[in-house]
Amino acid sequence: MEIFILGFFALGYLILAGADIGVGMLLPYLGRTAAERRTVIAAIAPFFLGNEVWLVAAAGVLAGLFPLLEGELLSGNYLAVVALLVGWVIRDMGLWLRGRMPGARWQTFWDGAVVGGSWTLALAWGVIFTQILPVPIVAAVMVALLFAMHGLAFAGLRLTGELRERAVRLTGGSGEGRTYALTAAALTALGVLAGADLDLAASAADATTLSLLVPVTLALIPFLVAAQAWVWWTFRARVTGPSYL
Amino acid sequence: METVDLARLQFALTAGAHFLFVALTLGLATLVAVLQTRATLTRSPIHLRMTRFWGQLYIINYAMGIVTGLVMEFQFGMSWSGLTHFAGNVFGAALAIETLVAFFIESTFLGLWIFGWDRLNRWAHLALIWVVTLTAYASAFWILIANGFLQNPVGHEVVNGVLQLNDFGALTANPASLVAFGHVLSGAMVVGGFFMAGVSAYHLRRRTREQEFFRKSLRIGLALALPATLVAGAFGGLGFATMQPTKAAAWSGSAQELAQAQADMVARFGPGDYLPPVELVRTAGVVMMLLFVVMLVFSAVSFLLMLFRPAVRGLRIWHWLLTAMIPVPFVTMLAGWVFREVGRQPWVVYGLLTTQDAMSHVTPLEMRVSLIAFCAVFGLLIVVNYWLLARHARRGPDAVALGSRPAETPAPALTF
Repeated sequence: MEIFILGFFALGYLILAGADIGVGMLLPYLGRTAAERRTVIAAIAPFFLGNEVWLVAAAGVLAGLFPLLEGELLSGNYLAVVALLVGWVIRDMGLWLRGRMPGARWQTFWDGAVVGGSWTLALAWGVIFTQILPVPIVAAVMVALLFAMHGLAFAGLRLTGELRERAVRLTGGSGEGRTYALTAAALTALGVLAGADLDLAASAADATTLSLLVPVTLALIPFLVAAQAWVWWTFRARVTGPSYL
Repeated sequence: METVDLARLQFALTAGAHFLFVALTLGLATLVAVLQTRATLTRSPIHLRMTRFWGQLYIINYAMGIVTGLVMEFQFGMSWSGLTHFAGNVFGAALAIETLVAFFIESTFLGLWIFGWDRLNRWAHLALIWVVTLTAYASAFWILIANGFLQNPVGHEVVNGVLQLNDFGALTANPASLVAFGHVLSGAMVVGGFFMAGVSAYHLRRRTREQEFFRKSLRIGLALALPATLVAGAFGGLGFATMQPTKAAAWSGSAQELAQAQADMVARFGPGDYLPPVELVRTAGVVMMLLFVVMLVFSAVSFLLMLFRPAVRGLRIWHWLLTAMIPVPFVTMLAGWVFREVGRQPWVVYGLLTTQDAMSHVTPLEMRVSLIAFCAVFGLLIVVNYWLLARHARRGPDAVALGSRPAETPAPALTF
């Protein structure tokens, strides 16, 4: 059951946050002018905070349910994790700060932070996956491109008009829903394969800790999903203009 | 410096930065929730504007709290895998509960609160900020359960060289955690109260257009600052009763007590140096105590002054002092934290695991790379963020973007 819990949060992160990371990577392609970029950002704005928290939860689950693996995985891939964190921090601050000052240079600078941070984050994930799975390190680029593709599909689902067409053009036609399902499935497969290569069963926490945390977490999951579903439902409409960011 | 010292420095800098931002987050979230409650109940326009203005400052500050917190969470596994290996069954459990019970909901609902302005029923929107505030408290609670365990390990047994949880009740009832929770939470209210009063005083002194707005804000800030300072002091006093003998000896500074504490530890654990860096611990403790007295006197006098209308309107030297006091609670918080955490050294889990033994197998080069990367990124971001916070505070409520309708509001098109 503890493996299910870890998988639930890790895969939730890859599918949900993978999309907003991908949109960040392709921000210069999707939005050609400052106004367009702001609309593209609005497509992910209400979600990115609630998306990245799945990884915070996965790391918490790792600390509580798989403490041995947490230490091994994070200290064993030290520099890749540093890159992941630096990319994540820069990207988030770009999103938070870009709209807080008027002026083209300020916004262009932080848009650059969003793009650079998103690429760093995606490539760092790629490197971490290549360390877990028996594949050469160049496959990290493939992982990053998968994030980008997933982001395009999400942008296709969230935007309208010219911006939407730009997003769907690269994924081959108008089936952005199908593309999203495919890229989500690919990310799921990636996560499951990596999970299968980790020695999860042997690195779980002690039975007493599991008997406390597993039922608590399972009882919480419906509430956490309901909270997220409220966000998805509130912002289900396609965006056509700027938001707070 | 040795790699373990660099790892400690890295953790101290990220945790210290995190502490600065989350302290203001806890204080401001509470104030914003109270303001929004008033605005929702009475439909008072000025309280709605106050919610938006203070809410935007809260969000600017919150963003840095998140990103510093991320780096902290990951550092346990990156730099201190000895800690997760030895104490993960107990310490990790508290961290896991924090992310799931508190932070997950806090983040999800904060996004909904920010972007859902004018899209949600106003009562639902009010409920969101209260959930965000209460989950922020819950977050502080579980983090201090984890921290209190490091200070005073309870509810565990050692089996095959690692800790196992055997009493969850004892873990959550740990006096070293509960007293610290009361102390940190009331300290955060001091930070929030002084911040609100100081920013308001700036506008009153400069005679900006928003006099009524900032007179009200000033009174709210000061009405929180005085009681919060008293409560923080009371919990701080209790904290001395739960202190480890070596920290107490360092605080006393008496050579005899230090020698006694060292001799007791050697008798229990064998030869070694079991005293924390005495000068640093004492200095941090003294700074905390002195600034506490300054804040207590200042907030008490200010509490009286705010009852006099002419003072609130025109006592400009007092306004200037209020603004100058904004950093003081922050410095006090950091000093208290250095006192508590450095005072625990050389242990990471007091009496069970030394900081040295908790260190991961990270190469000196890797540690230097990460330290430089995190310092550069956070150094820049902290400066930018504080500059932005000051700028938005100075510009006043007219320039607030939070909760204002975006420039273009086209009809929404449904996705499905």
